[in-house]
Amino acid sequence: MTNPVRNGDIVRASPAESPAVFYLRLAWRNIWRNKRRSLLLITSVVVAVFIAIIFSSLQFGQDEYMVRVTVGFYEGHLQIHGRDYWEKRSFDQSMEMSGAELDSICSLSMVEKAAPRLETISLASHRTATKIASIVGIDPYRENELTGLRKRMIAGSYLDSGSTGAVVSQGLARLLDVAVGDSVVLYGQGYQGETAAAIVPVQGILQYPLPEFNNSMIYLSLGYARRLYSATGRLTSVALLLKDARELDAATALIRTKVNGNKEVMTWKEMMPELVQGIELNDGGTYLMLLILYVVIGFGIFGTVMMMTVERTREFGILISVGLKRWRLIFITVIESILVSSVGLVAGVIISIPPVYYFYLHPFRLGGDYAKAMLAYGFEPIVPLSISPIVFTIQGLSVFALGVLSSLYPLVVIHSLRPVRAMRG
Amino acid sequence: MIRRISACTLALTLCFASLHAEDAKEIVRKANDLLRGIHSYAEITMTIVKPEWSRAISMKSWSLEPDYALVYITDPARDKGTVTLKRKNEVWNWLPSIQRVIKIPPSMMLQSWMGSDFTNDDLVRQSSIVEDYTHTILGEETYEGNRCWRVQLVPKPEAGVVWGKILMWISKGTYLELKTEYYDEDGKLAKTFLGSNIRTFDGRLLPAHWEMIPVNKSGEKTVLEYRQLKFSVNLDDGFFSEENMRRVR
Repeated sequence: MTNPVRNGDIVRASPAESPAVFYLRLAWRNIWRNKRRSLLLITSVVVAVFIAIIFSSLQFGQDEYMVRVTVGFYEGHLQIHGRDYWEKRSFDQSMEMSGAELDSICSLSMVEKAAPRLETISLASHRTATKIASIVGIDPYRENELTGLRKRMIAGSYLDSGSTGAVVSQGLARLLDVAVGDSVVLYGQGYQGETAAAIVPVQGILQYPLPEFNNSMIYLSLGYARRLYSATGRLTSVALLLKDARELDAATALIRTKVNGNKEVMTWKEMMPELVQGIELNDGGTYLMLLILYVVIGFGIFGTVMMMTVERTREFGILISVGLKRWRLIFITVIESILVSSVGLVAGVIISIPPVYYFYLHPFRLGGDYAKAMLAYGFEPIVPLSISPIVFTIQGLSVFALGVLSSLYPLVVIHSLRPVRAMRG
Repeated sequence: MIRRISACTLALTLCFASLHAEDAKEIVRKANDLLRGIHSYAEITMTIVKPEWSRAISMKSWSLEPDYALVYITDPARDKGTVTLKRKNEVWNWLPSIQRVIKIPPSMMLQSWMGSDFTNDDLVRQSSIVEDYTHTILGEETYEGNRCWRVQLVPKPEAGVVWGKILMWISKGTYLELKTEYYDEDGKLAKTFLGSNIRTFDGRLLPAHWEMIPVNKSGEKTVLEYRQLKFSVNLDDGFFSEENMRRVR
């Protein structure tokens, strides 16, 4: 390009114009030379981008909602434990956490809610029945904020921070044959092997839709649980809910730097590998659908490009025969397809934002048994769309790539074009 | 090992010294019989050692082999009066602080007993190191100044045993189990038992200091110190009753 004005070249509008702008201008003119043809190609890209975004937003939305529903049930997005607690589940791996340390974690901008817990297994006994129960000492206010425990109450009263009573899950209450006003014997092992035994009045019954929860949970106030299990000032875990689940990794790294001493921070992915598998299984089906969608979109765009190339064969033949270098023609054609794909990409993303945002705010409502099951779990039977930027970038760029890939076809045609035969048509 | 705590009675005369080289099974039987019998009474201090804390529990123990045992906690004060009763395959606890008897459900049998390295199941397990294993003498060794047989025990295929194999060091002549290594099914050492401080209890020579050391938990062990051990007590199965759990001192 050192000597742009040469024999066989196209004359530029002014010698001062740079070659790049010059090619761009040529490509731009080519696009508008046949408006209908270009609009057709742009439309096919727009439609493809739109469909791919809606489809993917639905999938991401479902995943995000599934995670939110599951982690909000009990575990939280993240948990802080004493080192090795998750594996060994013993008070030996419990931790000390001051109110100030807990507050400093709650006040992080990424953290929405935090619930401190003292969890263990004990025997629960009433008359002749003895069952194994999961005992959880909770901060009643924070726990309700995170898991919505209060709305599961079906009898009696919820805990407050000074309660010395127990809230028992309905299935366990039935197995032990206790009602509000009765007492259960709790017998287990406290911190450092101390014996923990107490007769605890049942002050409330709550109901879980999941049998493994419904048949095993007993909630105590944190203060009372600490006294019963000789675990003054100790916690086994702090469950955290994040404002934005996408910040999981960043939040994990940040909280690791904030906690003192010998603690571990685990994500829901580590704590609930079965949920990760469930999502992967769900995604597997969606990816297959997306793949089919891409094939359809790809052939749509490719067909349009092929049709346009055939239409322009004569034009290409003339240009080459009057002396335009093939590589310059290829260059212009590639710029054309990038321009067209870009316009389609931008337009597709723009027109898909309003519906995605609308259905994000007003999610689809489900009906039937599935909806009933979700309601029973305490969650709205909805399918929200995701407004995660990754939906737009990945789908937009994938379709864009398909558009650019299709422009390889005219490239091949130009490369092997025989001008005389091309001009004869 | 709780079986040992609760089963420290001697059978009557067993040690008719054989002029022949004894076979491995006979050696294990004699060592085992030193620790079990019909009636026994023991006063024991159990110390649970963990990396960050340790806790001593003193207890009195009565047993009537093979089915009955009763353990009464004398110390620490908070647990004083707690009683564990074993009758055949069942375990009950009496909790004086709440005046209740609780039966340990089967699903809790593998939980730790009083925070120690023993489980509730150790109290009731019926497997026998004599009958459920095939015994081989691997050789003779000196262990802490005692000439010992080194005996290998491999579980019989039909025996419901958790160990892959057991190695025992049993002193020659006195049949004391001085060291035992328990290997899991992958052949890895899981825990080690050590017996030391040999003294005479009620006319019997026995180790007074026992240690159980789990291999994969560094800094942890459970130590038993026998303060008293009597075999000349008379107990019947009425002693091992729910009512007696509340009365026994």
